[in-house]
Amino acid sequence: MAQSKKTKTYQQMAEQLAELIDWFESDKVNLDEAVTKYAQAMELLEQMENHLKTAENKIKKISAKFDE
Amino acid sequence: MMQDLVLTPTEFVALVNQTFEAAYPLVVIEGELSNFRVSKNRWIYFDLQDEQASVKFFGTVYNLPGPLEDGLTVNVVGYPRLHPRFGFSVNIQSIAPVGEGSIKKAADLLKAKLQAEGLFDPARKRSLPPVPQTIGLVTAANSAAYSDFIKILNERWGGVEIQLADVYVQGQQAPLQIVRAIEHFNELPKLPDLLVITRGGGSAEDLASFSDERVVRAVSASRIPTLVAVGHEIDVSLAELAADQRASTPSNAAQMAVPSRSEVIGQLHNLRLGLSSQLAQDFSQAGSELSQDKKYLTSQVNLYIKDLRSDITATRKLVRVFDPLTALKRGYAIVSRRGRHLSSIKGIKLGDRLDIRLSDGALGAKVEEI
Repeated sequence: MAQSKKTKTYQQMAEQLAELIDWFESDKVNLDEAVTKYAQAMELLEQMENHLKTAENKIKKISAKFDE
Repeated sequence: MMQDLVLTPTEFVALVNQTFEAAYPLVVIEGELSNFRVSKNRWIYFDLQDEQASVKFFGTVYNLPGPLEDGLTVNVVGYPRLHPRFGFSVNIQSIAPVGEGSIKKAADLLKAKLQAEGLFDPARKRSLPPVPQTIGLVTAANSAAYSDFIKILNERWGGVEIQLADVYVQGQQAPLQIVRAIEHFNELPKLPDLLVITRGGGSAEDLASFSDERVVRAVSASRIPTLVAVGHEIDVSLAELAADQRASTPSNAAQMAVPSRSEVIGQLHNLRLGLSSQLAQDFSQAGSELSQDKKYLTSQVNLYIKDLRSDITATRKLVRVFDPLTALKRGYAIVSRRGRHLSSIKGIKLGDRLDIRLSDGALGAKVEEI
């Protein structure tokens, strides 16, 4: 579980968060579910922020030559 | 001595070509284009001339940077050859217009041609991915354009994998290298999310590769969305017109390629606040619904109790009507003989003793008359 969390990309986290927000914006709000989803959303937000603060860009130079 | 050697024409052609190869493996000639013609959509012929001389050239359409016409000044790289039948010509390796006037004229010709084909049609433009995970970058690794792009990219965002295709961005090798790099990315099993093709400012000649027909077509054919930034704000190459998006400079390309970390963190904070207040609102709404339920229940119970009370009062009244004491108070009496209440005179004899009960006490009496 922890492993899969680590490999989640920013985009995946953003999509998951968007789903949670959609849920909150819809009418059917069940309080127990709201509390669970709220906790999930907060955790995602935390992870996304950490990702933004710590992730670094990687540069790979392609070894192929483009001469011929 | 050369004069003693008798050669056949074939031997002479071979000898001259050997000499050319040794002495002039590659020549660069600049001059005015004349007698330009394309044969069978494949072969090109033209002369380069100045006031005194005219030299013949031969090549294929694949050497062309775009449509050309007589009067343009061009720079041709090629090697001299003596053809066994058609005589002397320079075989073309690359050809490029030179001088601002010719470059502009050639670009205008190409622009008109590609425009007619719909390559610059706004309807063809795709939007860029909001957050690319992989970017294919086509530029010169040692250029300021590369450093600027990476610097701004690192400032703005993290977690992107950049695959760099290090190519010439000017000179005669540049167009084909750029084309091959674009093709390389488009042939990968997993395509990058975005293709950025960029170089910094320079002279019209320096930037000409990005208005080369082969480069423009490769940009336009890319399956990966393209972001092209060439030169400064005012320079607009045809590759930029064919791209899905154009950026004014390499730094601007980085700004367009990824969102800003600090802006997104700000948005995340707002989302956090929004969700918290949403949850609080959900709870307070549920709370007020509960208290309304409670009020309703209380009022229902009160109503019920009131109903019960009024029922009891009615029953009590009814009960009172049937209470014998009530009748006694109104003047009625209960008559009994030997403990039995009498409701008839049957069986009563003169002299019988009767008990009479009134509202406030009892009497004993004897029957004297029937």
